[in-house]
Amino acid sequence: MSRNPRMTLQTQLVLRVMLDKPDAHYYGLQLREETGLPGGTIYPIMARLEQAGWVTSSWEDPAEHVTEGRPRRHYYRFADKGAEQARDAVARAYRPRKQPRPGFGVPWPDLPGMSP
Amino acid sequence: MNQPYSLASHGSELLSGLLGHIADVRPDADTRRITRAYEAAAYWHEGQQRRSGDPYITHPVAVAEILADAGEDDQTLCAALLHDVTEDTPCTLAGLRQEFGDDVAGLVAAVVALDAAPADQVAAACSDSEAAVALAGDRRALVIKVADRLHNIRTLRHLPHAKQLDKSRQALDIMVPLARTLGMDAIGAELESLASATLRRARQRPGTASGHLLAATTALLPAGSRARWREEWLAELHVLPTRRERARFAVQIVAGIGRLAVTLYQPGALLRQVSSAILTAAVAASGLVAGGWRTAMAMTAAAVAVLGTVTWVLRSDDRTRRLTELIQAVRAAPASQARPAPRESDPGDGS
Repeated sequence: MSRNPRMTLQTQLVLRVMLDKPDAHYYGLQLREETGLPGGTIYPIMARLEQAGWVTSSWEDPAEHVTEGRPRRHYYRFADKGAEQARDAVARAYRPRKQPRPGFGVPWPDLPGMSP
Repeated sequence: MNQPYSLASHGSELLSGLLGHIADVRPDADTRRITRAYEAAAYWHEGQQRRSGDPYITHPVAVAEILADAGEDDQTLCAALLHDVTEDTPCTLAGLRQEFGDDVAGLVAAVVALDAAPADQVAAACSDSEAAVALAGDRRALVIKVADRLHNIRTLRHLPHAKQLDKSRQALDIMVPLARTLGMDAIGAELESLASATLRRARQRPGTASGHLLAATTALLPAGSRARWREEWLAELHVLPTRRERARFAVQIVAGIGRLAVTLYQPGALLRQVSSAILTAAVAASGLVAGGWRTAMAMTAAAVAVLGTVTWVLRSDDRTRRLTELIQAVRAAPASQARPAPRESDPGDGS
């Protein structure tokens, strides 16, 4: 599959919601409600997770939506090792950076060629 | 009907498939007679096609298989195989009678006559088996008609949308109750679930203003994925209770459509290429207008260099570090005389 998805805060939020029940399946509107993120953010994230192979998606079984009398949903769930990968990635995203980067509040290191 | 029946080579599997269905239920069936009916039907339908592009003969064979599974008798199976020949081919009823006898020919005639039956009689036949037999003259003609419809509904996806709806409604209104009246419960159940699924899918048209907005928005996505997102979003929209909430959902999706498009167009490669090509062409053209060939080439080279650098920074996993390296390199430039390129492969460092 393609490379890992970027661990933006929104992606982490979605993954944490899904990791609550890693075996369950989720539909877009449900994730939108549980994360509080706008719909326009949820679907691109799900598409990226799917591309990365962490998540698979499928249409709802006719037996369910027919009895509930609504159109079929598109469900997302973790792929085989998806939950594992997601848990790792979320944990890694939390770990503080070992080396502070130069920038605001952090003094610039002596970079070669910077002296006038 | 003295012509020799040509048995097309691809047809032998069709026939053996049918005979297999028959043997499962009625091992004592008159397979010679059924084979002859098959050969006659294959001969007359030769060269005709279903909407799906399959040879036409696949349809009567499928109908006969449905009936074979239901345990219907030899005459019914023969008539099922031949049920369309008098309507759609030069074959005449008299010819059928001569070849297959009064019973089979009479059944075929009764099946054809059913299409022209008055609507009120058909409606009455749906709920009352006596009225049904009075209508068709023979219960088996109705049985063939129901099986015919079942196969049509099974292959409905090859029809235009409006026809799909029409046939599905007809199936629910007439054929499902008729099948139940005739005691063909399994066929009735299949007809019902297929037809109602088609109607349910159709009901999921955009409908609301928000739905139309969402459906239109999918035009920005790659062609292959539009249908999926459209259906997914319309299904979500369907369960949102108020107009306000639906509108909010739709606006959110539209706001995020760019991100989704970039994700789906394989990590933005296409968009990036197209936009850089347009940008480079624009720079080249303006250079050409402003100062001739040399300026145009120099400006193009510079544009490619800038684009390359920007892409290099943006695509990095660690943008801050890349940017730092870049600034560092630019600062070092006066010392080392030549203008350094941030990357060896970048063209334009000679400009």
